[in-house]
Formats: sequence, structure tokens, C-alpha cells
Amino acid sequence: MAVGVRLFSERVGEGGGEPVLDAENGEELMHVRPLVSVVLGNRPPQSPGTLYISTKKVVWLSDVDKEIGYAVDFLSLSLHAVCRDPEAYPSPCLYTQIETGSDEDESEDSDSETNGVVDLSKITEMRLVPSDPNQLDQLFEIFCECAELNPEPIEEEEEEHNWVFSADQIGDEVAEGEDPDWRISENPTNTIGHSNGDHDLARTVLELQIDDQRFEDAEEMEHDVNSSHQ
Amino acid sequence: MLFFSYFKELVGREVTVELKNDLAIKGTLHSVDQYLNIKLENTRVVDQDKYPHMLSVRNCFIRGSVVRYVQLPPEGVDVELLHDATRREARGG
Repeated sequence: MAVGVRLFSERVGEGGGEPVLDAENGEELMHVRPLVSVVLGNRPPQSPGTLYISTKKVVWLSDVDKEIGYAVDFLSLSLHAVCRDPEAYPSPCLYTQIETGSDEDESEDSDSETNGVVDLSKITEMRLVPSDPNQLDQLFEIFCECAELNPEPIEEEEEEHNWVFSADQIGDEVAEGEDPDWRISENPTNTIGHSNGDHDLARTVLELQIDDQRFEDAEEMEHDVNSSHQ
Repeated sequence: MLFFSYFKELVGREVTVELKNDLAIKGTLHSVDQYLNIKLENTRVVDQDKYPHMLSVRNCFIRGSVVRYVQLPPEGVDVELLHDATRREARGG
């Protein structure tokens, strides 16, 4: 589930250095880039800071205030691009779009600030501005590499939808020696089964309505019986 | 693997990728990976009035899971080839 931008202030040691990573789950630091400004949504740039790219997330930590830092999981990064057009943004930057997990109603420029408190989870855009624009292409490539390390997690309950998107999973399972015919033919059968199920449902509803009428009659009869007893 | 294989055939062609947030980006397909992450080059946003800040993003990486549609160049759609490929896929390979 995409969660968007979040505050991040867990730093190694006495708060001087690198962000704390989830080493137990295999998270590794891929790249460190000092002198990077971060721009969240339409807010003014924040600098100076250091950009840390791990196998799971992007972390920006302020060099000035040890309590200030932001993190975005690669799972939440929908898109990233090198932007050098001064009309689009004054400084060359790595532009990213962030999936927030909330409804799509929020427009790009909607004010993410409520009562003076910034709701980070609603931020849909983030720009990273390195001091040296020549670093942008390398940053772009690192982002690509890490994005590929973070495919969508497989959600069990959405199995019937997943099969469309997970040709690679099928490939993996075939590689593991499963019978490909069985695997591939299974899902379409399910889909057909579901549409049949709908027909059944329609018939069941019809039957229910018939039953309802019967029940109404029965109730009336019950009433009659009751009234005759009174 | 059908989509992956197919999109790989389209590398170098111009496609339009429509995202689930309605943003549509046109560009030359640079590469695609097994998760259908898509890299575009020489991109431009289709609805430039709505997304002025995306105007001239030169290259762009799009996460496969946020793609809604990929509009293909008509000349890149070989119906015969796709027929065969889907039949092969249905037979398991």
C-alpha cells in the first residue's frame, strides 16, 4: 500500500549521520548524495540536506535540523524524471510523483497545509535538486535501478485481479516446475466461473423475490391466524 | 510474459502511457522490464494545459503498477503475430 511521504528522523548514532535502515529485512544503502535540496509539493525548497537512497526508500535528511527528514518508499514513487526546463522549475531537478494512497480527488496544486500543519501524506510531488545538475542523469538511473528492486507486493485477497499483471509470477512458477498448462488455464476458468456465478446470483435474487412473496402471503396468513385468535 | 515480450518489441516506437491519475505521457519507448515499468524518452505530456510543470521532462521512468493504458502505434500492432503469441501463451508456452 502506498503511503506517500512521511517524516523521518531516525538517524544512526547520535543523530549525526545516516538514516536507520531496516537491515533485518535486507535494506541496504545504495547511494549517498550530499548537498541536495528537497521540494515537497508547492512548498519552498529545503536545504541543505543529504539524500540517501536505499534498496527500499528515498530518504532526505536536513543537515541543519537533526529532527527534520523525509522518507518515501520506492513503492510510492509512481514516476520519476529529469527536469531541466526552467519554465517547469527554476532549478534542474529530479521530479517525482508520489502515490499517496488517498483518493485521487486531490489536485496537483491542492494545499497540503491544514491549520498550519503540513499533511505529508497528501503530497503528490517531490523534487530533488542536487547542487550539481550534472548529477541528475546518474540519480535518475539509480532511481530506476531501485524502483525495479521494489515490485508490487502480492496481495492474496486480490488474486483474481492479480493474474493480469503478474505474467512474471507465472513465469517464475513455471520455472519452479509447475505444470504451465494447469497454471495458465486455471485463471480464465475462474473468470468464466465468476460470470456464471453472476447468472446464478441473478436467478437466486429472482427466486428470493418469489420467496419474498410467499413469505408475505405467509405473514398475512399469520396475521389472519393471530387476529382470529385475538 | 506476453505483455513484457510484446512491449519489448515496441522499443523505439512512440507510445502514449496513461497513468491511473489521468496523466498521459507521450514518448519514445526506451525500455520495459518484467514488472512493466516503462522508460520513455523525448516525452511530452498530452494535456499540457493541465500539467504545465511536466512540459519538458526529457526522460521518464513510470512504475508499472500506476499505468492504466498504453496506447500503441498502429503500425506496431501485428495482429497475426499477436494471435500466434496469445495462442502459444494459452497453451503454456
